[in-house]
Amino acid sequence: MAGDHVVIIGNGPAANEAAMTLRERAPEFRVTIVGREHVRQYKPHLLPALVAGKITEEDLFVRSIAFYQHAGIKLRLGQEVVDVDFDTRRIILAHKEVLRFDGLIIATGGKPRIPEPLLVFQDVMMTLKTLTDARSWIDKLARVDCVLIVGGDLTSVAFAKTLVSLGKTVKFMVDEHGFWPLHLGDETRQEVARRLASGGMELVPCRKLRGLARLSADEIRVETDCGRYTVGAVGAFFGLVPDVRFLVRSGLYIEKGVIVDENLMTRYDGVYAAGDCAQVYHPTLRDYWVSIGYRNAENLGRIAALNLIGGKVRAETAPESIFHVDGVDIPTSWWAEI
Amino acid sequence: MGRVDVTMEVCGMAGDGTIAAGGLLNEAMSAGGFSVLGFDSYPAEIRGFGRCVTRSRVGTERILALVDKTNVLISLDDVQSHSRVPYLAWDAAVFFDSNPPVYVEEEMSLAARVEPGATLFAFPMADLAAAAAGTMRGRNLTALGGFAAAFSVPRDLFIEVIAKKFKAKGSRVLDANIKSFDAGYAYGLEHFSDRLRDTLKPPPGIKTGPEKVMLSGNLAIGRGALDAGLKLYFGYPITPATPIMEYLAARLPEKGGRVVQMEDEISSVGAVLGGFYAGARSMTATSGPGFALMTELITHGVMAEIPAVILNAQRGGPSTGLPTKTEQSDLHAAVFGGPGDSPRIVIAPTDVEECYRHTVMSFQLAEKYQTPVIVLTDFYLDNRVENLPMPQATESEIADANEYPDESVRGAYKRYLMTDSGISPRSIPGTEGFTFSATGLEHVEKGTPNYTEDNHMSMTEKRHRKIAGALEDLPAPVEYSRGGPLDVGVIGWGSTFGAILEAVNIANERGLNVGALKITSIFPFHGGVIRAFMNRCSEVLIPELNYEGQLANLIDHLHHKDVVRLSRATGVPISPSLILKEIETLALAGA
Amino acid sequence: MKTSARDLARKVQGIGEAKTFEVRSSELPTWCPGCGYFGIHHGMNDCIRKLGIPLHKVVTVSGIGCAGRYPFFTKTYGLHTVHGRAVPVATGVKLANPELTVYAVGGDGDGLAIGGGHLPHVCRRDVDINYVLFDNSIYGLTKGQPSPSSPQGMKSKASPMGTTDKPLNPTLLALSYGASFVARLFAGDKKMISDVLLEGTKHRGFALFHIYSTCVTFDKSYKTWENLKKWIHPLPETHDPTDLRQAFDRVLEDDWSVGVIFKREQPE
Repeated sequence: MAGDHVVIIGNGPAANEAAMTLRERAPEFRVTIVGREHVRQYKPHLLPALVAGKITEEDLFVRSIAFYQHAGIKLRLGQEVVDVDFDTRRIILAHKEVLRFDGLIIATGGKPRIPEPLLVFQDVMMTLKTLTDARSWIDKLARVDCVLIVGGDLTSVAFAKTLVSLGKTVKFMVDEHGFWPLHLGDETRQEVARRLASGGMELVPCRKLRGLARLSADEIRVETDCGRYTVGAVGAFFGLVPDVRFLVRSGLYIEKGVIVDENLMTRYDGVYAAGDCAQVYHPTLRDYWVSIGYRNAENLGRIAALNLIGGKVRAETAPESIFHVDGVDIPTSWWAEI
Repeated sequence: MGRVDVTMEVCGMAGDGTIAAGGLLNEAMSAGGFSVLGFDSYPAEIRGFGRCVTRSRVGTERILALVDKTNVLISLDDVQSHSRVPYLAWDAAVFFDSNPPVYVEEEMSLAARVEPGATLFAFPMADLAAAAAGTMRGRNLTALGGFAAAFSVPRDLFIEVIAKKFKAKGSRVLDANIKSFDAGYAYGLEHFSDRLRDTLKPPPGIKTGPEKVMLSGNLAIGRGALDAGLKLYFGYPITPATPIMEYLAARLPEKGGRVVQMEDEISSVGAVLGGFYAGARSMTATSGPGFALMTELITHGVMAEIPAVILNAQRGGPSTGLPTKTEQSDLHAAVFGGPGDSPRIVIAPTDVEECYRHTVMSFQLAEKYQTPVIVLTDFYLDNRVENLPMPQATESEIADANEYPDESVRGAYKRYLMTDSGISPRSIPGTEGFTFSATGLEHVEKGTPNYTEDNHMSMTEKRHRKIAGALEDLPAPVEYSRGGPLDVGVIGWGSTFGAILEAVNIANERGLNVGALKITSIFPFHGGVIRAFMNRCSEVLIPELNYEGQLANLIDHLHHKDVVRLSRATGVPISPSLILKEIETLALAGA
Repeated sequence: MKTSARDLARKVQGIGEAKTFEVRSSELPTWCPGCGYFGIHHGMNDCIRKLGIPLHKVVTVSGIGCAGRYPFFTKTYGLHTVHGRAVPVATGVKLANPELTVYAVGGDGDGLAIGGGHLPHVCRRDVDINYVLFDNSIYGLTKGQPSPSSPQGMKSKASPMGTTDKPLNPTLLALSYGASFVARLFAGDKKMISDVLLEGTKHRGFALFHIYSTCVTFDKSYKTWENLKKWIHPLPETHDPTDLRQAFDRVLEDDWSVGVIFKREQPE
């Protein structure tokens, strides 16, 4: 009803598309986006270019702040949700504020995945998911020359190329879990490896990381099955997992991500999930699939919004976008290039 | 050196240590070499309730005025801080406690109100303070610590000023305060690293010249009076002049002087006249309503030719008006107030340094011209703080300026001797051979009452001639421009001048051709200089914080066309942007 | 009884010959012949002479009224200020130079009406000035209006039906305000004025001299010379001026006793 408050947790493509859909179709609702990061929505796939110095931070942003003000979308940046109480329809923010909602869309996206055996080295490794991460890389790269990239997801490929373009020495270690949630066949993987090698990177021949130790601010000792060496930084690129830890005790069904039906609705009325954080039920497959990629996220965001206001749109897995990495076709839409 | 210009506020409830935090902030920024201008607002009525807001503007270039938008808000009480949100710049930084004692509903939340462009720095101020020092009382310092980390202010600057401020309270208090600050600082370094701003790291080479101190207008006035050899202060409490009396009450006795709180403003100014008559530098300070009461005795001083120094710290009027708001609406009263043709000297400082200087100057002017001298300040100027080298007065600035009668007239002394300058040599009671009676009746040279036509004419003329002659000792108007013809000339007085000068500087940077004229001698005024300036301007703009355009009324006859008035009766200082807008409108219209 | 101009001139000549010009200036007082103020004037001049203080170290501060002209008639320094403000101005003079001997003079209108707000404070402040209050219960200079010390029922152009307000008692007020020296005198007794004024001037602290006087021109019925001479009498011999309670009793029981009513011993 008029004046109802719809809160969207997250500030990526799914969240923003949902917000704009709501604004368009339900002007009587109050719409609030709550984003953890202190900046407005930006294009994450451009982060490597930022690190390369090819673009500025301003080039990353999708739209101006004024847009939200004109559209009447309340944008709350730098604020984190720590809990949701579905019985009383309350969201608790980190600074002990209570937001009451009538409708909720969870669109928190994914966070860098660190495989379990490597969790112990988490503090020594750097990821590249956010603008803050990018800034840390820019700062680090001013001081180091040699970087180890572990994992091998799509981002890592783009990033490794960035590093090479900056004149850095890049050691690349392809981990078998690197392309989660997809599993690459051996063949594809070998092809990728060969291409990487030809791109100026040193491929580390083994697949297991044994140990990482920080020797100083800009020195890390790496131990692998096939040798040990010192690098300036280690980048972890093992793909993303849904960023939903804060919801595990809320009552929602959570497996890897938030479990939703084919209309993106959770077990609670008026509560939806969209984008990389959601696991969507596929009635035909009778299984759950996770969306990946920018375009898919936007699409799901839109669908969640439509359904929240009364629609019954089915979420489809987006047609696979085929992406090329150095001439190799990879059936994934991770880090979609526009 | 990159230009720094940051406006910061600390906002809290009375009792949160808001004012103390604002004070430390000012001192730290000053210690870092920045120019600082601060102005606090207190709860208007009852103590213990109400909002306190400290406002400081800090920069690499001399800060002349306060601006409309705030860049940093440090909130010690989020509900009170709601009122500050409309004044935030679109990209302001907001510091607030992330762990309030109870959950906060959306409507009451500060974070919910700020615009998305703002950067939030939420951290558990109270908890950090309690953990570090065993009490939450230092959370205002914890807040400053977090702020310092976020804005790259060197820790030492704050530690230095905290140590100075709390030295007298003993090592335990000092220690607790430093710990509270450090808790916030450490937290900030760790958690704000993703959104640090290095704006307030003092640029190298910023600290030049002599050591600076933070001084308010009132303190500068008090200090000026002390340095000028004030002997007697008579006063009656009134906002915003009371701090002057209190400052002097503590310090005048050790200089052999005395502060007497009189029963009203009438007796205050009466005692000042009595004191000066008997040879002691005497002074009173008041505000509009008190000044009104003094009028009769002021004109007595004019007629009897007795020196007096009267400071009118203007506030919103008329009548009781707006006691804690600023205004410049007593010019008419100061220049013309009172019966008869009663010319007197009126001067008005424009900043804290001039508050000192004009106070010092007023004693010599009073003595030399044997007249009440009225110094006009206003609430904003009296209460704001600036950092500046501690002002000093030279020997010649404080020397006795009284003209004594010559030995040759002993036994035949005429107190009101007709002279070219209009100044009749004055003897001081206790001096043998030169006794006289001063009177408020019209009188002949000897001083005896006389109402004849020619005498009244010539004595009135003498008194006017005398005051007109003061022009040579009064500060001339100061021009700020490139010289030559100007599109717009902005003339101002009092605390408004700072905003005028800032607006003029910006206008010139934007390619306009604009000048400013500062007038500090309100009466007599330098008509020739003012007219010459006006003649070079296509348009003359006079912004002032009063409705009737009181300075404009005084000088607009000097211009051959109408001056443009920017008259504001809002109770708050005029902002540079408002004046700039007017300047640009005029400049473009004329183009 | 009006004195003729010839008589007046003779009187002045006599004064000149009597060398009473020492303290008096050469200015002729503007008071009506027969005015009670002449007596006060004589008494004060005598006191100042006896004090032995050089005239240039004496300051007389006056307000507005017939008494206001007083400074012109002495050779001391003078300050003729505005209506009702002699007392605070005199305060300033004394604090500026404590070596000066300061007299504040004024009438009953000046001191009790417009200046009434200053009396409590000069008493409680105990400023070392000497306040001579010329009380003729009328506004003489403005031609005959009732004053705060006029009796109830007094008829005048300003009160054709007679005044309705009760009169103030300045001596009682001064005692209530804590003055440290209170004396009541009569303009007809120049000697007592001179003696008491001397004692009060020497007293370290505020001294009030409430002096009954006449207004021969405008008051033909109340404070005439005849009436005053009949009513006024000295304080009883037994009166102890250092006893405040006795002082109050004297003043409450009797409006017309004269002498030193109260004197508080002051520390060094």
